[in-house]
Amino acid sequence: MKKISRRLFVEGTGAGIVAVAIPLEGQAQSAPAAPTTASNAPKTTIKLTINGQQRSMEVEDRWTLVEVLRDHLQLTGTKIGCDRGECGACTVLVNGKAVYSCSQLAVWMDGRTVQTIEGLAQGTKLDPLQTAFIEHDAPQCGYCTSGQLMAAKALLNSNPKPTREEVRAGMTGNLCRCSNYNHYVEAVMAAAGTLKSGGAA
Amino acid sequence: MKSLRNVNPKSFQEAARTLAADPKAMAVGGGSDLLQLLKEHTIAPDTLVNLKAIGGQDKIETHGNTLSIGALATLDSISHHAEVRQKYAVLAEAAGQVATPQIRNAGTIAGNVMQRPWCWYYRNNFPCYKNGGNTCFSITGENDFHAIFGGGPSFIVHPSDTAPALVALGARFKIQGANGTREVAAADFFQPPTVNPAKENSLAAGEVLTEITIPAPAKGTRSTYLKILDREAWTHAVVGVAAVLEMDGAMCKSARVVLSGVAPIPWRVPAVEQILAGQRITEDLLVRAGEKAVEGARPLAKNAYKVPLLRASVKQALRTASGVSA
Amino acid sequence: MNPLNSVGHREPRVDALLRVTGKAEYTGDVKLPGMLYARLLRSPHPHARIKSIDISKAQALPGVRAILTKDNCDTVWSSGDSLGQRKLFNNPLRFTGEAVAAIAAVNRHVAEEAMSLIQVDYEVLPFVLDVDKAMEEGAPEIHPGGNLSPNNQRRREPQTYTRGNAAKGFTEADRVFESSFTSSHHNNAQLELRTSLAYWEGSKLTVYASTQGIVNCQRDIAKDLKLQEADVRVICHYMGGGFGNKNQSHDFDLFAALLAKEAKAPVKVEFTRKEDFVAVHGRWSSKQQYKIGVKNDGTLTAIQMVAKTGSGAYRKSSCDLSGTEIYQVPNLETSTTPIYTNTAVAANYRAPAYPQGVFGIESAIDDVAYALKIDPLEFRLKNMTRKFRDQTPYTSFGLEDCLRKGADSFGWKQRWKPVAGSGAGPLKRGAGMAMGMFGSALGRSSAVAKVDAKGNYSIHVGVTDCGTAAKTTMGLIAAEELGVPLNKVNVVWGDTDTCPYSVGESGSRTTVQTGDAVIQAVKDLKKKISEQGMPKGTDEVMVMVTTNPAQIQGASRQSFVAHFAEVEVNVETGNVKVTKFTAAHDSGRVVNPLTAESQVQGGSIQGIGMALHEELRYDQRSGQPLNAGYYGARIMTHMDAPQVDVLWVETEDPYGPFGAKTLGEPTIIPTVAAVANAIYNAIGVRMHDLPMTRERVLAALQGVKA
Repeated sequence: MKKISRRLFVEGTGAGIVAVAIPLEGQAQSAPAAPTTASNAPKTTIKLTINGQQRSMEVEDRWTLVEVLRDHLQLTGTKIGCDRGECGACTVLVNGKAVYSCSQLAVWMDGRTVQTIEGLAQGTKLDPLQTAFIEHDAPQCGYCTSGQLMAAKALLNSNPKPTREEVRAGMTGNLCRCSNYNHYVEAVMAAAGTLKSGGAA
Repeated sequence: MKSLRNVNPKSFQEAARTLAADPKAMAVGGGSDLLQLLKEHTIAPDTLVNLKAIGGQDKIETHGNTLSIGALATLDSISHHAEVRQKYAVLAEAAGQVATPQIRNAGTIAGNVMQRPWCWYYRNNFPCYKNGGNTCFSITGENDFHAIFGGGPSFIVHPSDTAPALVALGARFKIQGANGTREVAAADFFQPPTVNPAKENSLAAGEVLTEITIPAPAKGTRSTYLKILDREAWTHAVVGVAAVLEMDGAMCKSARVVLSGVAPIPWRVPAVEQILAGQRITEDLLVRAGEKAVEGARPLAKNAYKVPLLRASVKQALRTASGVSA
Repeated sequence: MNPLNSVGHREPRVDALLRVTGKAEYTGDVKLPGMLYARLLRSPHPHARIKSIDISKAQALPGVRAILTKDNCDTVWSSGDSLGQRKLFNNPLRFTGEAVAAIAAVNRHVAEEAMSLIQVDYEVLPFVLDVDKAMEEGAPEIHPGGNLSPNNQRRREPQTYTRGNAAKGFTEADRVFESSFTSSHHNNAQLELRTSLAYWEGSKLTVYASTQGIVNCQRDIAKDLKLQEADVRVICHYMGGGFGNKNQSHDFDLFAALLAKEAKAPVKVEFTRKEDFVAVHGRWSSKQQYKIGVKNDGTLTAIQMVAKTGSGAYRKSSCDLSGTEIYQVPNLETSTTPIYTNTAVAANYRAPAYPQGVFGIESAIDDVAYALKIDPLEFRLKNMTRKFRDQTPYTSFGLEDCLRKGADSFGWKQRWKPVAGSGAGPLKRGAGMAMGMFGSALGRSSAVAKVDAKGNYSIHVGVTDCGTAAKTTMGLIAAEELGVPLNKVNVVWGDTDTCPYSVGESGSRTTVQTGDAVIQAVKDLKKKISEQGMPKGTDEVMVMVTTNPAQIQGASRQSFVAHFAEVEVNVETGNVKVTKFTAAHDSGRVVNPLTAESQVQGGSIQGIGMALHEELRYDQRSGQPLNAGYYGARIMTHMDAPQVDVLWVETEDPYGPFGAKTLGEPTIIPTVAAVANAIYNAIGVRMHDLPMTRERVLAALQGVKA
């Protein structure tokens, strides 16, 4: 259990208000015992497959998957919208399943297969989802789009002909603050139609 | 994020020994919630014991008359498992309504039943009971989402959707300690804040939950989990009802009803179970069951709305579970 | 309306490919060699004076390269408040989350560790969270001179509007109605995290910003850092949503620049999502009181509105309320008083003054209509504005068609119940509607047009395209005027080194104002080509124009909108579900129906979230925010979003590019009120407070205050 070193009741003035000072994140007023720098943080070498490419790399144990993708592999198509598992912008596929890459440590990915937005198109041939997203004007600002695409990809992988309700449920972990939800759903259904008429699965 | 070390145990026993030896080590399953608490500095472990590394602990199998669920089984796999959906619908439905598809893909059953509270005082690092302090800020604070039953000294509500389903199904939890294993009924695993307001369950330091077993339900058993959310997805239960009914036609032979979102632990309501037992399901009986469910509720200043909400939710859940269009 | 060749056709965005392949480079994606990461230490108190800050331990941490606090930085962030006085670091601190220190380090983990090593000695001061309490005798004074926040003329007075004489209007009325409404602070919550990256080359500063206005951002940074504008370059090629108050510099732009100078390295400042909610801004809260006089036949005789708005700890924007302008009424008095509190700063969020104001007036009017037993649609058709402020004709007027055609499309006659709350069973359906208008004035902007020897055209515009498809809109307008297909026009945007002034993407002005500049640039280019011929070899023919049309005399240019909502309310659980939604918009000619539809979809669904969920909550005893973030704000998800039927009422307007008027902001203006009125129609109980949460709906049904 974390040591609570900040007893924080301070008598306010005025109407006998009790003020409680709660630091925002990262502001514990007690000094940590031994500051850790990048040089002495625990590290582990992991092997993983990213977009079909096998990689071996040393990661700090505390690094999240999205941090590794964006900061260390320059795969910046995956976005961070909240870094708290609340928005879905960082959605990638791990062993074919959609997960929040902000909510996985990279060290846990040892031996796994990761697919990101950069691995969605086959060379210059767009995935049917990408084509449908363009035609239906699914992205507005586009910041949530990579995550929406990967969530949609995972959905169609397991359910190639989803109903409208199934699309909404399958993608509900992906917020779009531009709120272009209906265009996203229509695009996914259009892509599913493409798949039905003989496109790649 | 603070610096930490990840260790990959080869067995639950090794995990338990690591945890027992190091008070600053924490076990991690899916990790979704744990990482958020870490990033917010609500918890500060030096070592994470990565239970996923053990391997093979995510199985869902039937052994004779017992369903066995490995602690690392994901919520997604439980919600889609054919036998679980058929015979233990309340569990499949509860698992399927947790958070979002991404979190259900990563999240484990053990992690879900041991999830820390989502009380906003705890999550904002107020020095409350859950953070090692000695007060509950909700009592005179913003208590819209807090307990109406069993509160005191902490008034959190237990955040798990699957926990009430497991209690209603009479599940048992297998626990590995550094020096052996023990088994406990799900109903006894969860502990009210009067026992220890810092904790929600009886898991001791150096223990890990390894497996959940559920006895085969009696013939004619029907069940459901009803979850009231504050948007259509990704909130915790404002009110939830796990209902397991042993039915014979329109006759309810016996019932187990356990609530979420209203108490610091999965909240079983024996009074409701008793008035259902041996009775034909009628609209009148459902109304009386709803009334019984809210008996003794002690709302705080801002959560009285949970009383009518619970009354209606119990009625609806029982109607769905019974399959009787009363 | 005469059809055009490019404008008016459904065109995918010109940059859509980059947006669906992850290749669009957003500010946070830019990484420069040697770049440092910066984080902010923030006030844990809603009101406190810093007695001392000790940064020595943090400075000693290996990897820390620069730390700014009030002790070594007194830079003014002039767009941080309307007085131009707010500093980057203020003392006293006036809200939980106000900046205390900025730290740049080799990586974000070290920066975060350094935060915990800074020791601050605070003198905790009394605080106030509520606008009424802030105006009481003896309330804590947040700024010298009191808590009535001064406007940009430095006057501490309400914002008022008067025509006629309301008192006289009430004596002429057969009936007078009074009611009051409140709305809460809620956040823009664009998906992109707040970030900025700055580096220096000698005295020249480059900032990768996340801005809706590169040139305004450049101007603000230059002013606050005392640089020549030409020495500041602002780049923003892709940005992840704005919804307001990104048309200037932000404190994170200045932090990045100052830390980069101190550390002699590029610095990227990153805010967390919690910091975005608590320490940037959201829509201002309000407490509104209405008095409405009406004849028995439903003719309005007078409207009076008296309101307080919560500016938070600084006054960043107008904090005004709009809505009453939509009615024809001879006597109108409005008064809005912005008030400081020790809470997150309020500022612009999509139609800043409107959805909460329209919620108030349109709810109040709805009550009047029911009381007089007049269909709310008919009441509005009878009393809607016909001239601006009952005096000035409109350049084009589609409000009546928005109401009539919208109602037909929605099925108002079938869905609206003459007796509110009628219907058996716990699931009750009801329909509601509301209307609004939004200015569509002409104004200054610039554009560059050029052509090469191969006949490829380029249009340079200072837009960033925050998701509105502004680049595509500019391309379509240019293509239309040039008489070439869209794919022959290359749009250049998002960099002050290559783009001229644009008004910036606020006030929904880009289509009209920068669009007008694009048309003029193309006209000038064509003229120049006709005079000197097409360029040869590697030459180009180029023109640059700045258009600054005179304000239209004797007429007012406005966009109009009516929204219709059907809801299903479970009176046992308080659950509200929007089951049908129709949005009828007069935005003049629609330049690109495909992307315009996206705007309407988005504004409407955001508005439904504002109506039902969103509110930044505070612990009243400590002044700490409790639910900052997407989970806590209950932002709308895929499963929450209803279908939105979009109906265009295209009026012919003689001004603007091909008659286009504003669109982005009108899309949220009447949404909240339409949902509120639908809830009333369903349950027969009026909701007076936003958001209309489950607990408030249940409390209203039981006749108690939630």
